[in-house]
Amino acid sequence: MTILRSRLAAIGAVAALGVAMATGAFAQEKPVAGAVAEGSLKGKTLTFASFGGIFQDGQIAALKEFVDKSGVKLLSDGPTEIAKVQAQVESKNVTWDVVDTADFPPYVHCGTLFQKLDFSKIDTSKIPQGQVSDCSVPAMNYGVVLMYKTEKYKDNPPKNWVDFFDTEKFPGVRGIDGSGDFTGGLLEQAFRAAGGDPKAMTKDDIAKAVDKVRELGGDTIYWKTGAESQQLAEAGEADMIMMWTGRAMTAVKNGAKFTPAWQDWLVVMDQLTIPVGAKDPDASHALINAYLGKSAQEILTKETSYTPINSEAKPVVDDSVAAFLTNTPERQSQGYQQNIKFWVENFQAASEQWSAMMAGG
Amino acid sequence: MSASDAPSERAASPRRSWGPLALALPALVLLVAVIGYPLATIVIRSFTEPQAGLQNYSWFFSTPVNLVVLQRTFTISAWVTLVCVFCAYPFAYAMTAVGPKLRMLLTLCVLIPFWVSGVVRTLSWVILLQDSGVINSMLRSVGLDGVRLIRTQTGVIIGMAQVLLPFMVLPLYSVMKGIDLRLVQAARSLGAGPIRAFFTVYLPLSLPGVYAGAIIVFILALGFYITPALLGGPRSTMLSTLVQNQVLSLLQWGRGGAMGVVLLVATFLLLALAGPLMRQRHKQGTR
Repeated sequence: MTILRSRLAAIGAVAALGVAMATGAFAQEKPVAGAVAEGSLKGKTLTFASFGGIFQDGQIAALKEFVDKSGVKLLSDGPTEIAKVQAQVESKNVTWDVVDTADFPPYVHCGTLFQKLDFSKIDTSKIPQGQVSDCSVPAMNYGVVLMYKTEKYKDNPPKNWVDFFDTEKFPGVRGIDGSGDFTGGLLEQAFRAAGGDPKAMTKDDIAKAVDKVRELGGDTIYWKTGAESQQLAEAGEADMIMMWTGRAMTAVKNGAKFTPAWQDWLVVMDQLTIPVGAKDPDASHALINAYLGKSAQEILTKETSYTPINSEAKPVVDDSVAAFLTNTPERQSQGYQQNIKFWVENFQAASEQWSAMMAGG
Repeated sequence: MSASDAPSERAASPRRSWGPLALALPALVLLVAVIGYPLATIVIRSFTEPQAGLQNYSWFFSTPVNLVVLQRTFTISAWVTLVCVFCAYPFAYAMTAVGPKLRMLLTLCVLIPFWVSGVVRTLSWVILLQDSGVINSMLRSVGLDGVRLIRTQTGVIIGMAQVLLPFMVLPLYSVMKGIDLRLVQAARSLGAGPIRAFFTVYLPLSLPGVYAGAIIVFILALGFYITPALLGGPRSTMLSTLVQNQVLSLLQWGRGGAMGVVLLVATFLLLALAGPLMRQRHKQGTR
């Protein structure tokens, strides 16, 4: 009876997936990003962990349709910390069902803290190329962009990261992301500025790259939060700042006299993951699949100004937001993709050297 | 007291010593559960993860940046304690000298910071201390240009001292209000000038408050995290930031634990050294 009912529903609904999973039947059809089966998760609760602020608010807003349709109760938690995921996994008491993480963790901890995703339940066909890993799909795209003080450099502005690291030709105070882990792309660009070839970087070269950052000097500002980077720009405390595009956009909107140098902007993303031992992996997969949908991504971009990761999404945004979206053909051709494999393999060495530098060592 | 009273007194004495302990039981249970157990776990992990042995400690002492930061943590905490003593002492004295209404106001001034979130307070300091901030524009108007406050140790010390000031003011005040001011008057009437009366009579009597406040402030300062992170730069990073990096980003619980244990042991050593010194001074002072 259950099977029969679910089959009937599957024929009726565009998304057979959710129903099939909810009723435990076997109907396996190709998932469609954004599709949710009506009432499929009634009575269930999912906890979504992310980084808070307008970003997480926007993610929850993007998931509203999923919540309304599936009947799931969605809880919001955070901020994401890998140590917390580890504690949950090791104590076999996993309370986070879907976790938004930074770039590297799903690669570093794939299979140990984060489970391999079942791509028969997630539609990845609309995600930009090269962004899906065994244990993650992107949660959004953004860029790390070089912002410079317009009046300071007037006719001879910095054009790329090599200029950023050239304090002789371009004097001035630098602002760098010191909010957490190292940014692989920045270290690759530092290595390039030191005369190396980032594509042929070895473990020993990490020290050279970190040294190049260190050489920027004692007045370099390592901002700790996105808000701080924005405040640095708005108050004009630094002359060149490495900024997240969302914060750069808001700073400019608030009147910061800064201009982006888009050449080699660093492609970065947040990741969606499911911890090992999550209570209801099927429901977690359903959430991720819904999150990747066109309209969910449009809402996400509208709320957060981050770039959608569904290629069909056409968010309606004003010019100030559009200027900092990174999915236009021009921006895509200027972007610089870091060597994720290299940084994952050398994560410990790089992280230690970076944090030693950050501690004034 | 006659000899026949002795047995009943002996019988009563155990009750006298165990009764108060029972009152402390809830607090003791709480301390063991929320401090003792996690602390024991941290110590054990520092010796057992990833393998049993001393590797976390040999790593700590063979990595130069750890030692630099450890030393810096103690230096900054000492400066913060010093600043707190100098700011809190006259303030606490003023609290004992004014009328009840003004005293209420002064107490409020001390306590209000307790009610404001640490992050908000620290961010206010960012606005005050930054290069284009209020303090610097004031300094500039009197011709002092380019004074760096934010992202320096000075900035961190100012911010931390403000957060910790109440912990110095309150013990000082409670000691000072118990000092009989007639002793100072007596000193004056015997021919001591105001300065001498202060240094030979009042100051020694108030020292227990200074010591109590200094120990609390110093120990709290050692573990500070948010303030140095937001107001400081690389040259004012404190040990807690390094612990955070090891645990949260590298998942090296063992190393993080070892760092915590080193800080704890170093603190105990310092207090063990300072303790007798203070007791001695205290005795001299009250003699």
